[in-house]
Amino acid sequence: MGQLASALVTMILGVLACAAYFYGSNALLDWLFPGKNRPAEQIARNLRIANRIRPWLFVGPAVLVLTFYLFYPVIDSFILSFHGRTGEEFVGLSNYQWLLGSDEFYESFRNNMLWLIVVPTAATFFGLVIASMTDRIWWGNIAKSLIFMPMAISFIGASVIWKFIYDYRSGDDPQIGLLNALVVFFGGEPQAWITIPFWNNFFLMVILVWIQTGFAMVILSAALRGIPDETIEAAVLDGANGVQIFFKIMVPQIWGTIAVVWTTITILVLKVFDIVLAMTNGQWGTQVLANQMFDWMFRGGGDFGRGAVIAIVIMVLVVPIMVWNIKRANAEMEGR
Amino acid sequence: MVTSKKGSALTLVMHASVLFLVILWTIPTAGLFISSIRDKDQLSVSGWWTALSTSEQRLVERALDPTHQQFEEGRWVIKGNLMGNSDGEVVRFGVSSLQPEAHAVGEVVDRKGKQIQVFANGDYTISSDEEMSGRRGDRIFFTAEIPPRFTLDNYREVLSSEGLGQSFINSLTVTIPATIIPILIAAFAAYALAWMKFPGRALLIAGVVGLLVVPLQMSLIPLLKTYNLVGEFFGVGSKTYVGIWLAHTGFGLPLAVYLLRNYIAGLPGEIIESARVDGASDFDIFRKIILPLSFPALASFAIFQFLWVWNDLLVAMVFLGNNEEHLVLTGRLRELLGSRGGNWEILTASAFITIIVPLCVFFGLQRYLVRGLLAGSVK
Amino acid sequence: MKKSLLSAAIALTLSANYAVADNHGGLMFEPGKDTRFHWASYEALKSSNLKGQTVSVFGPWMGSEKEHFENVIKYFEEATGAKVEYAGSDSFEQQIVIDAQAGSAPNIAIFPQPGLAADLASKGFLAPLDSNVEAAIKSDYAAGQSWVDLATFDNQNGQKDLYGVFYRADLKSLVWYSPDNFEDAGYALPQSMEELKALTQEIVADGGTPWCIGLGSGAATGWPATDWVEDMMLRLYPASVYDQWVANDLKFNDPKVVAAIEEFGWFSRNDAYVDGGSAAVAATDFRDSPKGLFASPPKCYMHRQASFIPAFFPDGVEVGLDADFFYFPSYESKDLGNPVLGAGTLATITNDSKGARAFIDFLRSPIAHELWMAQTGFLSAHAQVNPDLYVTETARKQGEILRYATTFRFDGSDLMPGKIGAGSFWTGMVDYSGGKSAQEVGDSIQKTWDALK
Repeated sequence: MGQLASALVTMILGVLACAAYFYGSNALLDWLFPGKNRPAEQIARNLRIANRIRPWLFVGPAVLVLTFYLFYPVIDSFILSFHGRTGEEFVGLSNYQWLLGSDEFYESFRNNMLWLIVVPTAATFFGLVIASMTDRIWWGNIAKSLIFMPMAISFIGASVIWKFIYDYRSGDDPQIGLLNALVVFFGGEPQAWITIPFWNNFFLMVILVWIQTGFAMVILSAALRGIPDETIEAAVLDGANGVQIFFKIMVPQIWGTIAVVWTTITILVLKVFDIVLAMTNGQWGTQVLANQMFDWMFRGGGDFGRGAVIAIVIMVLVVPIMVWNIKRANAEMEGR
Repeated sequence: MVTSKKGSALTLVMHASVLFLVILWTIPTAGLFISSIRDKDQLSVSGWWTALSTSEQRLVERALDPTHQQFEEGRWVIKGNLMGNSDGEVVRFGVSSLQPEAHAVGEVVDRKGKQIQVFANGDYTISSDEEMSGRRGDRIFFTAEIPPRFTLDNYREVLSSEGLGQSFINSLTVTIPATIIPILIAAFAAYALAWMKFPGRALLIAGVVGLLVVPLQMSLIPLLKTYNLVGEFFGVGSKTYVGIWLAHTGFGLPLAVYLLRNYIAGLPGEIIESARVDGASDFDIFRKIILPLSFPALASFAIFQFLWVWNDLLVAMVFLGNNEEHLVLTGRLRELLGSRGGNWEILTASAFITIIVPLCVFFGLQRYLVRGLLAGSVK
Repeated sequence: MKKSLLSAAIALTLSANYAVADNHGGLMFEPGKDTRFHWASYEALKSSNLKGQTVSVFGPWMGSEKEHFENVIKYFEEATGAKVEYAGSDSFEQQIVIDAQAGSAPNIAIFPQPGLAADLASKGFLAPLDSNVEAAIKSDYAAGQSWVDLATFDNQNGQKDLYGVFYRADLKSLVWYSPDNFEDAGYALPQSMEELKALTQEIVADGGTPWCIGLGSGAATGWPATDWVEDMMLRLYPASVYDQWVANDLKFNDPKVVAAIEEFGWFSRNDAYVDGGSAAVAATDFRDSPKGLFASPPKCYMHRQASFIPAFFPDGVEVGLDADFFYFPSYESKDLGNPVLGAGTLATITNDSKGARAFIDFLRSPIAHELWMAQTGFLSAHAQVNPDLYVTETARKQGEILRYATTFRFDGSDLMPGKIGAGSFWTGMVDYSGGKSAQEVGDSIQKTWDALK
C-alpha cells in the first residue's frame, strides 16, 4: 500500500513536472519578449525572436530524449560494428566480412524479407477490409472490439495461445491442438507445424498478423470515418456500387493513412523477435535478424561487434521506407 | 455514414464475412480461456472444444499398500476407491500395463495369487488367502468416463504463487507514467513539427522517422552504462522507476511523434491560421485548439503505449531488474512459464491473467476512443 | 541456459519429508542439534563479522529451488550479520551479460554453464579467488583437481586463475524407467550398451515403444540431445578424446564425432523406437517427455535424462517406487570403464567485496551443501559432506555415483563457447532430428566454431 501511495505521488510529480516545463517555459518566453503593450517596432522584433525560440521549447524535450535513448545508441552501434567481441579492440571490417560469409545470416535475411512482405500486407489488407465492412453493420463496434482484442495480448501470451493451437500429439492420441484436430477431422495426417521447414515461417507470421490486424483496423476505420459524406453520396448518385466506392473513392482518400499503417507494421516486423524467440528461437530455419542480433549480443557471453553489425543491417533495410516516408512528409509540407 | 441499400444479399454476405472473421480472430483466445478453466487432467487429453462432452480417460492408480489389509471372512482384503473424490464411471480395467483394458468392471482377476475386482464407481477390492506383503500396492489400470469438469483451481494455483499482487502494483507503477509522459512530450513536438516554421524542421522529421527503426535491443547496453554513471553521481541505484519511465518514453517517442504529427498535420489549416491572425500564441493554439481536436489520436496512442509498456518484458528486465520488489507481471509470469513449461493448465491460466488487464483497459477506454473518433470526424 | 530452465524443479516429488521451517530464528535445522551436519563450519563462519554489508547473489534458481537456497542463505546471514539478497532468473545467461557489461553486476553470480563464466572472465568481469581456495577445493572435493580445472579460466591478459567454486551438481548418465512396467513385461535392466540396444529391439518386437525423447525447451530447444551425444562420445572413445572434442582439437565434423551423433540417431531417428516417431522428438517438450513412462498404457519404457527430471514427473509419482533409474550403460566391447556425465553450477565473484569472498567460502564449506541436501534436490561433489543427509535413497545412490566416479566428465556443451554449446550445437541437433545427416550437422557446427576464432 505504501508503495502504491509513493508510486502515485511520483507519478503525479513526474507528470506535473512535465506539464510545468511546457507551461513555464512558454510563459517565461512571453515575459521576456512581450508581444503586447510595447512600441510596434519592438513588438515586431520580440515576436520574431519569440517565434524563433518557441519551436525549440516545443520540440526540445523530445529531441533530448530521442538523442539520448535512440540516436546515441545508434552511433554507438555503428562504432561497435568495427570492434571485436568486447567492443574494445578495433577490427576494421572483419565483422562485415563474417556476416557475408555466414549461412545463418542469409537464412534470417530471407526470412526477414518474407516477414516484411507478408505481415504488413496481410495485416493492412485485413484491417482495411474489416474496417470498411464493420462501419456498415449495426454490430460493427462489437466486431471491431473482438478483432482488436489480440492487440492487447503480450507477445509471450500470444505465443502461448498459438503454441496451443499448433500443438502436436503423436500417433493415435487425440489432438488437443485445434489445427491438428481439424486436419485429422478432414482425414489428414497431423503435423508438428512449427518444425516444417520454410512453411513454419508462415505459421509464425500468422501470429503477428493476428495481433496487428486490429491496429490497422482501428487506424483505418478512423480514417474512413474522416472521409466527407458528400464524396460518397456523390459517388452513390453517380451510380457507383459498393466495391467501386471502396476502391475508387475510399482507398485513394485514405491512401496516406494506409501508408502510415503499413510503415508502422513494417517497422514493428523488423524489430520483432519475441514471437520467434518464444515459438522456435530461430530453430527449424525460422531465424530472423532481430533474434539473431539478440543471440549475438547476449547469448553465450555476447559478441557486441557482430550484434552491432546485424543491427546496422536492420537499420539499412529500412532506409528505403524511411526515405520514402521522409519524401512524403516533405511533399506534404510543401503542398501547404 | 452512408449504407448502400444495394440489395440485402450483399448486406447478408457482409454480415456473414464479418462474423466469419470475428470468429477466426476470437477462437484462439476463446480456446485459451476455456482451457484455463478445465480440469487439468482433461485438458491434457482432449481438445477444449470437447469441454462439454464426457471424456474417456485411461488412468492408472496405485492401490493401497498391504499395510491397509484387513482380515475379513477368512481372507485378507484391501479396499479402496480409484476415483478419489471426482465423479465418473469406470468402464474397463486391467492389472498389467500390457493390457490396461483387459477386463470389464465386476470381473474378478487373478494376479499373483490375489483376486482383484473393480466396480463401476471406482471401488476396488484386492483379496488373498494369505497375508499380503510388500511395500507397494498393486497398480490398477482403468478406463473411466469422466463428465465435463470446470474448475478455478488453475487460477487458484497461479494466483496463490507469491508476489503476484506486488508485481501487479509494479506493473501499474511502470505503465501509467510511461504512458502519459511520452504523450505530453510527443504532442508538443508533433505540433511544432506540423505547424511551426523553423530551420531544421525537415531534418528533425527525417530524424524521427529514422529513429523509428532503431532496434530496441541495441540501446540497452549504452543506456545502462550511462544509467550507472548517473546513478553513481546521485548516489542511487541504476535501476529506478524514473529510469524505466524515461526509457519507455524514449522508445515510444518516435512512433508517438510520427503518428501524432501525421494526425495534427491533417487538421484543417484554416483554424490555426485564423487563430494566429487573432493574435493567439502557439502555446494557446496548442492548448485550446490542437489538444481537443487531436483527442482521438492521443487516446489511441495512449491505449497503444499502455499495452506496449504493460506487455513489455525486455525493457523491464534490463532497467528494473528482476528482484522481488521490482518484478513486473510479465516477468513474474515468465518465471512461471519457465518452471511450469509443460503444464498447459498453468500456461493457459497465467497467460489469461496477463491479458486481463490490457483487455479491461481496452474495453474500458474504447468508449472514449470511439467518442473521440466521432468528435474528430464531426469537426 | 539448460540449467536455468531446469532450475524449474518444483522438486518436491523427491518426497518432502523434512520439517517445515519452524522457530529456530527462521533457520530450518537448529544449529548444533542434528549431529549429522558439520556444524563446525557454521560456527567458523561467526568469526567474520559482516554487519551492515549486503551481498547480492544472482543465479538461475527459481521456485522451490530458490526457497531451498534461501533457507541455506539464512545461516550465512545469521552467522555473519550480513544481508544476502538472492534473485533468480529464467534468463540468467542474458541478464548476467547485460549486467556485467553495464557495470551493475551482483556480488556473486552462480553460473549454470562454466563456459559462460569463462567468457566473462576473459572480458575481465570476474574476480579471481584467493589462492587458498584452490588448495581447499583440491582436498575437499571428490576428484578435486578436475573441479579446479573446470573453474580455471584465462582473464583478458591471458593469465590463468581459479574463478569459482562448484555448488550443486547434476548427474546426467541416467535412464529413468517404471519398475512396474519392466516387471509386467518381464524386462531386465540392461548392464551394457549392447544389452540396452537389444532391449530396445525386444520392446519393439513385443509391440511396445522403448523410448521417450523430447528436445523441446523453448529458447533452448535441442539441449537434451547434446547430452545424448556427450554420453555417446564418452562411451565410444576414451575420455581424452572427449576432452579434445570439447576443446575443438577434435573437429565437430570428425568421423568420430559424426559416429557419436549417429549413435544417438540409432535411438532417436528410428520411428519404431521413439514415442510418436522420430518427427515428434524435436517437437516434444523435454518436460512433457517423461510423462509417457507413467501413462496408461505406457507410451514408452525408458527415458534418458539427468537427475533433476523427477521434478517433471506427474503428480503423485514417487521416485524409488513408481519410477527408478539405471546407469546409462557403456559398451561391454569397448572396455572404457563406466564413464559418468555430469554438470554443476559455479559460484563466482562478479563484484568484489569482503562479503562476497566470505560467501564463496561459505558455499565451499560442507554445511552449505548439507543444508540443501537435507531439503532434497541437491547432489554434491563435496567429499566431506555426510551422505546420510540425502533425503531419499535415490539421491543417495546418485550422490555415490558422482562421488566415486572414476571417469567423470562435465557436460561438454556447457564448456564449449556459448555460441556453440548454447547455440549451434542445439540447432544442429534439432536439424539432425529433422532429417539432416550427421555429417552435414557436424560440418555446420564446425563452421560456426571456426567463425568464432
